[in-house]
Amino acid sequence: MLRAATLILAKDARLRARDRSVWLFALVVPIGLTFLFSSIFPDTGELELTAGVVDLDGGEVAAGFVDGVLPGLAEADILTLVAFEDERDARSQVADGTVDAAWILPDGFSEAVAAGEDARIEVLVTAGRTLPPLAEAYASRIEQVGLALTTEVALTGTPPDPALAGAIGAAAAEAEALIAIEQETAGNGQPLDPVSYLAAGMASFFVFFVVQFGITGLLEERQLGTLQRLKAAPISPGAIQLGKLMGAFLLGLASMTALSVASTTVLGASWGPTSGVVILVVALVLAAMGVMALVGTFARTAEQAGNYQSIVAIVLGLSGGVFFPIPGDNLVMQIATRLSPHGWFIRGMDTLSTTGRWTAVLPAAVAILAFGVVAAIPAVVLERRRSSW
Amino acid sequence: MGAMLRCSGLRKAFGDIQAVDDVGFTIATGETYGLLGPNGAGKTTSISMIAGLLHPDAGDIEVVGTPMTPRALDAKAAVGLVPQDLAIYPDLTARENLRFFARLQGLSRADAGARGDEVLEVIGLTDRADDRAGEFSGGMKRRLNIGIGLLHHPKLLILDEPTVGVDPQSRNAILESVEHLSIEGLAVLYTTHYMEEAERLCDRIGIVDQGRLVAEGTRRELIATIAEQDVVRLHVAGDGAAAARACDDLDGVTSAEVEGEEIVCLLDGAAAQLPALLGAVAAVGATVDGVEVREPDLEDVFLHLTGRALRD
Repeated sequence: MLRAATLILAKDARLRARDRSVWLFALVVPIGLTFLFSSIFPDTGELELTAGVVDLDGGEVAAGFVDGVLPGLAEADILTLVAFEDERDARSQVADGTVDAAWILPDGFSEAVAAGEDARIEVLVTAGRTLPPLAEAYASRIEQVGLALTTEVALTGTPPDPALAGAIGAAAAEAEALIAIEQETAGNGQPLDPVSYLAAGMASFFVFFVVQFGITGLLEERQLGTLQRLKAAPISPGAIQLGKLMGAFLLGLASMTALSVASTTVLGASWGPTSGVVILVVALVLAAMGVMALVGTFARTAEQAGNYQSIVAIVLGLSGGVFFPIPGDNLVMQIATRLSPHGWFIRGMDTLSTTGRWTAVLPAAVAILAFGVVAAIPAVVLERRRSSW
Repeated sequence: MGAMLRCSGLRKAFGDIQAVDDVGFTIATGETYGLLGPNGAGKTTSISMIAGLLHPDAGDIEVVGTPMTPRALDAKAAVGLVPQDLAIYPDLTARENLRFFARLQGLSRADAGARGDEVLEVIGLTDRADDRAGEFSGGMKRRLNIGIGLLHHPKLLILDEPTVGVDPQSRNAILESVEHLSIEGLAVLYTTHYMEEAERLCDRIGIVDQGRLVAEGTRRELIATIAEQDVVRLHVAGDGAAAARACDDLDGVTSAEVEGEEIVCLLDGAAAQLPALLGAVAAVGATVDGVEVREPDLEDVFLHLTGRALRD
């Protein structure tokens, strides 16, 4: 069965390669739209951050961070420093969006650094703020400075000179990090930067169009008259369906892979750790196949199926927020994103970008797969009923 | 000669429509069997079951002694199907079409290439082998359509109205190809609603109408069912139906049917009956513009058996 399915797949691949519309949907249009939309958003490098720090430690290392590192960022016009009354005030202002971010230096922080133990700075980021490049840059700088401060304190036992802290920070870049950064996002944050968000959104949007080419393959074969010939060949009937499904899956996978690579290299998008991205992409392609298969069963011709599928893809894509981030305070739209595999995909990408852990995307991947399974079951039943065998 | 195809009691209904009703026949090695009937007679449904595309509601089919079902891969491997509608990929070249279907029939890559080139030669498309099928003329597409059915050296070739919509030159080329295949020993099942094609190609003919096999035999045997009789065609102006009824009531007239503006009468001794026929037509107020007297053919057999013309 696999041999025949592979032959059908190879034949379809040859036909698709000659079909310009596949290239348009798979690559040209998504990349073009990502480029177009990303040009509308400001460059993340030009973003200014309004933030403050809560020093619960009061130690030497914390003082070096508060008095040495942050003022330097403020002088570089990256950061506008604000003062908080206490930790509660900081969390409140981050939560309501008054400030973009806050650093919480916990009690015992300096002692932990001086002792070479695990030390943590908590970073709060407000809802709807897209700051990953900055957050990463901060994390890197903090780690570097933290190491330098550890060295200084160990040698002198006095609070470090802020200027010295900055200078030795760079030299410690290659050393092992002692300070871990815990970033917490208040509400439904969007850790993906605009370009990455759009690239992921466009890829998820257009993969639903791309898999159509495989899913509607049976209808196309029927229209061409070749389905009769395939059925008459000495191959398992399942091989025809398998060949078409394999084509849809590989086409969807190739489209998303090409788009992720192109958006990363051309537009500077950041898709996050590969393992997590692979899980989400595979889940989304399978979901797209299930949903499109179900929609396709209601059509009599490939053209009709294409029309139905386009409508569904657009509705799901829009409700999933593929073109722009859905505001966290809009309950209706937030619910809509949960009713769309696209919404779960972007949510998963957010989570992946925020946590950096592939396991964190599993809930989103399961939700995405659920769409596929729920759609695929009736699709299979309906297709069997319609099929002549 | 062994039977390449044996089918009996075939039935297939689509909802309330009984498309095939108790059809059965056999085809021997090297024999060309024609299913002759008008559009909608059940020819395509019958061959769809024989080719393993459809499950019959009832009946048995054996191809080379192997029962045929949609999952009977061995039986399917013995059949070459040429569907009525073109079944080719217009965006693939002729060579690519042939190689793909050859591989699907189980041929190795090398064998598929070699056999594809042989078939290109047979169907006269070698010089257009690397052109996309979509750029071909209707006749060339038809030839490619037939060629695909020959790729795997089938023991039984099923051709479903292969000359529909084909220009006379290509049609003749197709008929010559089928004659040649028969000479090579291939069993051929040929469906058509063209009487001339059935008469030219087929060793035996089954006449189908409304899903039933109403008669079967060689051309001579079928015509013998109305033999010793003549066919008189009267071109009538006026009430043709009334004129036909009047003719049918005459002694010695077996049947009189309206076919367009003509009344086709099957009768004994045309020369003796002609004055009576003209008188019967005149009696109902119609006039005869022309008269043709000839020996019966398959068209007349069909008309005699079903009361309808093949092209109805």
